[in-house]
Amino acid sequence: MVQEKGVVLDIRGISVCFDGFYALTEVSAAVKRHSIHFFIGPNGAGKTTLLDIICGKTRPTSGTVIFHPAARSDVRLTGMPEYRIVREGIGRKFQVPSVFAGLTVWDNMLLSLKGHKGIWDSIFGKPSKEELEQVDAVLARVGLRDRTQERAGALAHGEKQWLEIAMQLVQKPEIIMLDEPAAGMGKPETMRTGEILREIKNECTVIVIEHDMDFVRQTADVVTVLHEGKVLTEGTVDTVLADPTVQAVYLGRGSAAS
Amino acid sequence: MKRFKKQGANLSFVLIVVILAAMPLLLQAGVISASSTILFLGKCIAFAIVAMGLDLIWGYAGILSLGHGLYFALGGYAMAMYLKLQATGGGITDFMHVGGLTELPAIWQPFQTLPGALVMLVLVPTLVSGLVGYFIFKNRVKGVYFSIISQALTWAAYSIFIALSPYTNGNVGITEIQTVLGSIRGEKNRAQMFLLFYGALILMAIVYALCRFLTGRKFGKLLVAIRDGENRTYFSGYQVSRYKTFAYVLSAIIAALAGALFVNFNGSITPSQMTISYSITMVIWVAVGGRGTIIGAVIGAFVINLCEYNLSSGSLVDLWQYIIGGIFVVTILFFKGGLVGLVCEQIPAWIRRLRSRAATAREPAGQVQKGV
Repeated sequence: MVQEKGVVLDIRGISVCFDGFYALTEVSAAVKRHSIHFFIGPNGAGKTTLLDIICGKTRPTSGTVIFHPAARSDVRLTGMPEYRIVREGIGRKFQVPSVFAGLTVWDNMLLSLKGHKGIWDSIFGKPSKEELEQVDAVLARVGLRDRTQERAGALAHGEKQWLEIAMQLVQKPEIIMLDEPAAGMGKPETMRTGEILREIKNECTVIVIEHDMDFVRQTADVVTVLHEGKVLTEGTVDTVLADPTVQAVYLGRGSAAS
Repeated sequence: MKRFKKQGANLSFVLIVVILAAMPLLLQAGVISASSTILFLGKCIAFAIVAMGLDLIWGYAGILSLGHGLYFALGGYAMAMYLKLQATGGGITDFMHVGGLTELPAIWQPFQTLPGALVMLVLVPTLVSGLVGYFIFKNRVKGVYFSIISQALTWAAYSIFIALSPYTNGNVGITEIQTVLGSIRGEKNRAQMFLLFYGALILMAIVYALCRFLTGRKFGKLLVAIRDGENRTYFSGYQVSRYKTFAYVLSAIIAALAGALFVNFNGSITPSQMTISYSITMVIWVAVGGRGTIIGAVIGAFVINLCEYNLSSGSLVDLWQYIIGGIFVVTILFFKGGLVGLVCEQIPAWIRRLRSRAATAREPAGQVQKGV
């Protein structure tokens, strides 16, 4: 499945200014296709803000984000409304698990299917057999297959996280962004999440924000370290973690953060 | 269980329709003495219809409109204007004379014929709610802010209708009108009254079927999704503002139809049907009946209005406003699901709890956890 190793997301000189405070300053990064790209950094480094900009929740003060889809021409994401960005193939999982609590696991998945986003379709459309099978397959992958008729709000915290990941997967995104997917999870659950991520990177590119250094070591291909809104360094897990400046920034945190 | 619940709602609705359909027969048989009861029930049907529309946006999509009286009254006025012109034979009305008008104003022209009036009856609320919804939802105004805006709009419309008294007859409203089927007063016009009543019943059934159909589809689930997590819905690729506007407009049209029906049974329309308190009363019907169930809206509208009809005539007339306020507060605090929630969830939960308690009492070391 792994095709060309080109750049799928090009973040160019992003700056964000909130009332005179620069949350991000000239941040640039290139995310490679079919990689798991981590953004790490201490609190307030601007990681979540960066995701907000990619997915259209926040507008940058300057800079652009360019998306290079596999089979289509480039798309400039900056300035697009979020629902259009999603339809382009960029999914996002939030830090706080946000599933539709009042609906069943199955309905959560059906609403997340790629396409069928119009009103008319929502009234008269019906999911095809392939789509139903796809939902089933994705649920099996995250281990929620026999929970389909449960209300999503009744799931355990970790299961909600997985459901939200599954909801992204069923959209068949090219890029999936995860904001602290392992937050609030125990060790076995975290490991399982890491495995899921390594599986899905064959189909799409994964961008992750995380604090848990063990999780980063287990999962990451590329790590970009943000600090006070700037890119500190970028590289593989080992080189980045060996970097003395990174260690200084993370002093007293490091692997203890888990 | 779920299937039973679904059928339970439909069965309840059929039961309500059957009881209502029997009322004219009971009147003929002399069991009910006053024909005003039929007129009152006709109004209740109109209330049930507007409540269903309100439930669609509040119970499902979480949009609390405190100004649906506006659309109810717009529909009511459209119908009343047509009926008034029928009464005057297309000529200028008394209040226009008093207001200094010499010929029928342009705004009244479309109401000369029934088709024209029906078009206006749907068109005006559609345009108003469409514009309001488009701008409010596009700018992502939600929650209590939306409720406040909807109230303010209703208040503004109320003031305008009073101020434009040569066109609307101000405070008095449009009175001395008959119905689309002609006069329904008196013994000899009973057939017309029954026909009108059954027509109303059919309209209620159609609106109920429509609401049930929509909420049963993915559309209904999306409305719930928007209520539970608007942000997440945007990030699932849906243009939420469009869905909300659509639901809001639909609900406004339903309210307008209800208003038009109401006028036929009430024999007049006044700006008081547009007031905030009237709009909030509609919200109370839905809350008491049970949000997000459609059938709850119907039940709530009937229960509250029947209570009001029977209680507010006697010595309780002064207290009625306090009683209804109290019912509302108690519902919101203790019975979030309203009457439907009470029957479908809370009472079964109590029974389960009692049973498990009884089971624990029998075998002290037994399963306490089970069934709670």
